[in-house]
Amino acid sequence: MAETKIALVTGASRGLGAAMAVALGKAGFKVGIHYNANSASAEKVAAQIENSFLVGADLSTLEGTDAIYDVLKKDHGGQIDVLVNNAGIALDNPLFKASPEEFEKTVNVNMRSAWYLTKRLSRFMIRQKSGRIINISSVVGSMGNPTQSIYGMTKAAIENFTKTAAIELAEYNILVNAVAPGFIQSDMTDHIPAEFQEKILSRIPLGRMGNAEEIAEVVVFLATAGTYMTGTTVAVNGGLYV
Amino acid sequence: MTENEIKDKVVEILKPYVRNTDNLGSVSNSTHIITDLEVNSSRLVDVILAFEDEFDIEVSDEEADKVQTIGDAVAMIKAKI
Repeated sequence: MAETKIALVTGASRGLGAAMAVALGKAGFKVGIHYNANSASAEKVAAQIENSFLVGADLSTLEGTDAIYDVLKKDHGGQIDVLVNNAGIALDNPLFKASPEEFEKTVNVNMRSAWYLTKRLSRFMIRQKSGRIINISSVVGSMGNPTQSIYGMTKAAIENFTKTAAIELAEYNILVNAVAPGFIQSDMTDHIPAEFQEKILSRIPLGRMGNAEEIAEVVVFLATAGTYMTGTTVAVNGGLYV
Repeated sequence: MTENEIKDKVVEILKPYVRNTDNLGSVSNSTHIITDLEVNSSRLVDVILAFEDEFDIEVSDEEADKVQTIGDAVAMIKAKI
């Protein structure tokens, strides 16, 4: 087995994904930084990691997902030790305004890409007889949230997918878990109106939003420790829903 | 390698996963791996990886999906070696 382990983080050019990539780099992984369109931003993330490589791909298409498989096979000998299915979009709209096009795009990026990438890359892990797959869900996967009917649905699906993949892959020593961040200071939460932010904070026992590094440290734990954990979703939400 | 030699190796690879061993005695090209030999579909990934190792070939997901019978497996492998 190769000495340097490879971790791939989808949607790693900014926000939570970037923090996860940097944290995995600090933990000693060679990190694949996937980005959709913003290569400049991905390069900035790469500059913070000692050993990394960039993978540009549009995960709303199957071809884009195939491109990630091809890069790992051709350039890295089919080695993948940790896959973090983080890429996601939230096209917030009230139910009556949300469109079928928004539904399709969100489902393709948030759900299909995680399923398809896991299906394809797990074959590398099956051959290795080891691997960790970490799916990034959201607190919205288990609670309702106005304007996020599609996003919440995809995240609930990710948590269920985590359970089935965990069962199917357990015999190959592949652990599959999910992380469900609560309200985290990020591009996605910056646009929440102040009034609604206050309402959210009043429901969080720790009284503040989390930060990206607090999610990343849980991802590193699941990537490097947690040897008796599979099929579970770790809630990282400051006590929301306790 | 002849077709018969490939077939013998394919059957050897399948053996640990076959649940209907009665049908192993009369294997032909038309023998269906799942319905006749009752190999669990979740074991097919192990079978395909074993094909890759044994014959030093690469089998894509699409090619793997097309392998239904012993004959399908033999033809696919023969075309690659």
